[in-house]
Amino acid sequence: MSAEASLPGLVPSAQQISAVVVEQETMATNTYRLRLRCPELARQIRPGQFFMVKEPGTNDPLLGRPFALFDIWDENGEPAGIDFGYVAIGKLTHLMTHWSPGDPVQLWGPLGNGFPEPGDGHLMMVAGGIGQTPFLAVAREALGLKTYGRPARPLDVRPSKLTLAYGVRSREFLAGIEQFTMDGLDLQIATDDGTAGHHGFVTQLLQNAIQSETPPDKVFCCGPEPMMEAVQKICLRENVACWLSLESPMACGFGACFSCVVPVRQEDGSWDYKRSCVEGPVFPAERLIFED
Amino acid sequence: MSGISVNRLEVQLNRLSLKNPILVASGTFGYAKEMQAFVDFSQLGGLIPKTITPTPRIGNKPPRTVETSSGLLNSIGLDNDGLDTFIDKHLHYLLGLGASVIANIAGKTIDDFRMMAERFASIDGVAGLELNISCPNVTGGVDMGTDPKLTEEVVRAVRESCDLPVIAKLTPNVTNVPLIAQGAKEGGADAVSLVNTFQGMAVNWRQRKPILGNGIGGLSGPAIKPLALRIVYQVASKVEIPIIGIGGISSIDDVMEFLVAGASAVQIGTANFYNPGLSSQLVVDLERICEEEDCTNISELVGTLQFPTQK
Ligand SMILES: Cc1cc2nc3c(=O)[nH]c(=O)nc-3n(C[C@H](O)[C@H](O)[C@H](O)COP(=O)(O)OP(=O)(O)OC[C@H]3O[C@@H](n4cnc5c(N)ncnc54)[C@H](O)[C@@H]3O)c2cc1C
Ligand SMILES: Cc1cc2nc3c(=O)[nH]c(=O)nc-3n(C[C@H](O)[C@H](O)[C@H](O)COP(=O)(O)O)c2cc1C
Repeated sequence: MSAEASLPGLVPSAQQISAVVVEQETMATNTYRLRLRCPELARQIRPGQFFMVKEPGTNDPLLGRPFALFDIWDENGEPAGIDFGYVAIGKLTHLMTHWSPGDPVQLWGPLGNGFPEPGDGHLMMVAGGIGQTPFLAVAREALGLKTYGRPARPLDVRPSKLTLAYGVRSREFLAGIEQFTMDGLDLQIATDDGTAGHHGFVTQLLQNAIQSETPPDKVFCCGPEPMMEAVQKICLRENVACWLSLESPMACGFGACFSCVVPVRQEDGSWDYKRSCVEGPVFPAERLIFED
Repeated sequence: MSGISVNRLEVQLNRLSLKNPILVASGTFGYAKEMQAFVDFSQLGGLIPKTITPTPRIGNKPPRTVETSSGLLNSIGLDNDGLDTFIDKHLHYLLGLGASVIANIAGKTIDDFRMMAERFASIDGVAGLELNISCPNVTGGVDMGTDPKLTEEVVRAVRESCDLPVIAKLTPNVTNVPLIAQGAKEGGADAVSLVNTFQGMAVNWRQRKPILGNGIGGLSGPAIKPLALRIVYQVASKVEIPIIGIGGISSIDDVMEFLVAGASAVQIGTANFYNPGLSSQLVVDLERICEEEDCTNISELVGTLQFPTQK
């Protein structure tokens, strides 16, 4: 097998880009959306891919940080830049809350393999916390509202049903509800404390869907590790095809450093560490092994 | 003379000729394929892929890296598929990139190094060997790089096993690096690479746990530049051997600081992660410096540091 074939997330056309902040808005408690101008990235990036973000001109923070595509935005009918959502939790993300229009940003991408095609059955997206960000572009592409990448991948079939099950701790953390409200998308919400939607974990919504008359044929999932592990278990048990998008910390994002490795099951039953950035970040659920 | 352009950046480190002194450091450039989107490989003076060990190593448990102030701690643990897979799967690609490829090898015993050197001696196209006798993330083997005699022995064993130029990559985690560099010289090294990472640690005190999966790791990045410069300067003033300077280099000024302090060439490491296009850009920048400084060859600037003396 050639080396390329085993690295579905290696993107030979990725670029290092100087972007500019266009706007920033608060999406929810401690959660923000940044809009950047970066046509080079916007023209290429597809749902489920990511890019690295670095504050220019400083050694602290030193490294870039990975963020998923939320959406691309157009100007005069051409892709002009990207939107991404983030939670302020550490060094760079706290700095990012101070970024304002006109500020320069270093980026490199697109990176990673992205989600597979949505297919023609019922596609259910299961998101926990900020893990919702990749699903706006997935939904818009699946519904034919938008295309991504030049040339756009041709989707010959569309899902017969599209669901987003979105769980957060509490109502105040619900982000992007406005964007996710669209015809053709069944948006279901769960909160741990019952302040909105289903009172309990988002995995219950998945269980309910599996028991319903139109069970999901495919599940795409992104969120905190315990949640993804639970979704993996359910889907394996119920025989539902499932892909998980991992958020393993990365130092470079393009496969050079070997830090974002995760244990992955091999064809022969053994396991090996694989780089989440160039072999993922989206993996078939049955191949992943969660460690404690 | 028409048709012949003089390459002012060409450097000679004993038997190792490089078209320019900008190399990329082992473990920070993958197997080069990962960098194809960002780097013009044919610009580079040399390309050093990840360390190769005789047999596959799965590497350390994650988390394998953690960022610290202006630095990066890593404990990758020489994750690699071993010598055979390297030769089968990566070497052909690497040799077609238009840059000198220097294979970086590590073993637990002198016999390991000898065996690997013999394998590379039988392959056309590799420009040299860099001996990683300094990796802080691997237990079980003898730490050859902390002992001048063992350093000498391993270098000699490799020299006797092949005709390739040999570089000894040294650890800074010793009291006296010049002593180890002297050992490498006696063993017949063409050059020494200074330095590998500094041992370090990051702690999550609330969990009462180290952050790295391996507990301890190696520090790299801008945080170590002054430490590395000091070592390059000290070895340059005490041992007569060409030096390849490594440690936190992230700009052309950093490159020049190492050259002036005594390095004949440099390697770019951690900066490849956060400025992936840097390495080939530095070659262009260095050409400009040559112009500005009016040198016929870049080596004229090597070791030109004027150290203050007390009256
Ligand atoms: C493919 C991918 C896509 C992603 N997409 C998104 C996205 O769309 N939106 C989003 O918000 N996030 C996303 N993430 C996660 C995001 O990359 C991280 O939240 C981000 O890197 C945090 O950077 P920071 O500098 O703010 O935090 P850091 O300072 O780097 O800290 C990161 C986390 O580690 C913890 N930490 C750091 N240092 C220590 C320490 N010394 N001891 C203990 N804990 C420590 C922090 O508390 C924090 O929880 C994604 C990750 C991946 C891999
Ligand atoms: C993630 C990482 C992996 C590394 N792996 C290796 C390796 O496999 N072999 C080796 O000789 N050095 C390795 N190094 C050390 C670098 O080659 C270099 O000596 C060191 O990082 C200092 O340079 P820098 O500050 O420019 O990064 C590694 C460094 C990092 C950060």
